[in-house]
Amino acid sequence: MVLLTALALGPAAQDAAAVATAWTVDPAHSQLTFHPRLAGGEFAGRFERFDATIRFDPADLEHSSLLIVIDLLSALTGDTDRDAALQGSDFFQTTRWPQGTFTSAGIRSLGGGRYEATGKLTLRDVTRDVRVQFRFDPVEPSRGAARMIGASNLRRLEFGVGQGDWRSTEWLDDGVRVEFNLALRAAR
Amino acid sequence: MPLRNTAEAYGSLAKFLHWAIVLLIVPQYFIAEAAEELPKGLERLQLMDWHKSLGMMVLLLTLARIGWKVMNRGMPGPIGEPWQRKAAAAGHGLLYLLILAQPISGWAMSSAANYPVTLFGWFQFPALVAENHDLHEALEEVHEVLFFLMVAVAVVHILAALYHHFLLKDGVLRRMLPFSRP
Repeated sequence: MVLLTALALGPAAQDAAAVATAWTVDPAHSQLTFHPRLAGGEFAGRFERFDATIRFDPADLEHSSLLIVIDLLSALTGDTDRDAALQGSDFFQTTRWPQGTFTSAGIRSLGGGRYEATGKLTLRDVTRDVRVQFRFDPVEPSRGAARMIGASNLRRLEFGVGQGDWRSTEWLDDGVRVEFNLALRAAR
Repeated sequence: MPLRNTAEAYGSLAKFLHWAIVLLIVPQYFIAEAAEELPKGLERLQLMDWHKSLGMMVLLLTLARIGWKVMNRGMPGPIGEPWQRKAAAAGHGLLYLLILAQPISGWAMSSAANYPVTLFGWFQFPALVAENHDLHEALEEVHEVLFFLMVAVAVVHILAALYHHFLLKDGVLRRMLPFSRP
């Protein structure tokens, strides 16, 4: 049926179908947070600035993709000492590597409006494969509004986030959950 | 020694709670001071985690102590003149209040700086207040002032107990001592 429609509409429609819907992120209504566990307790930090280039169509996952560029300098945790430590050489070392980047390689459906993106995350010049699970809610399809809510469980030490004392996982867990809640608008 | 309080002396549970709370509070000041001396880093965080966990233990044990006190109507009553009884009741009430307020202010102080509060990592207490830098600074002051108030009232409490024991030579101190019999 898709094929017939494509044939009927001609080459222009085929080209359009080759790239899934592009979405822009409304930063005022979107969050990207990280959740480390320290001494058995979890706390949340947030990245105030990030860019997301999202092409996503549930009916065309093959041409869907996520590219997220995080400004690590915008990491905030509610405590100035801890914020300063995050910027330092023990953690992100933003003087050398100010950005973190996630690029999806593929997206598959998990059913029920849930998806999993596999791709590469780069932090501190170290690139590793990660998986990101997310839900896509077409909030108001007629107005081109949608929400993408998801999370990924990262291992900070794979990227060298935690040098010196912080290589130990006795007090600061290796696992850090990253969560996002993005307000999307279909780009025209 | 009976578990429950009697008309003559506190029971073993009330004594245990009283002295456990004392033993937990005393090192708190020194742990916090030692942590302040350390550079910002893991070691300081570890000490503060001990401080916070011990503080939460104080909070829980104090709530247990008050709960047990309420359940134990037959406890030894105050001795002395009516004004002394009133003073003792007021002093004890104030001491309980300060011992509760101190860990709660510390807990809120951690929450305001978005630091988790746990009981030795066994479980995490929910944040008492939302992240707020100014509130954190204010609570830091409150936590210090409450500490000195608590010490002041505790000193009066100790002096009153010694006054009973050595000058009045009554059984007031002995009825709370760990291994003494009335």
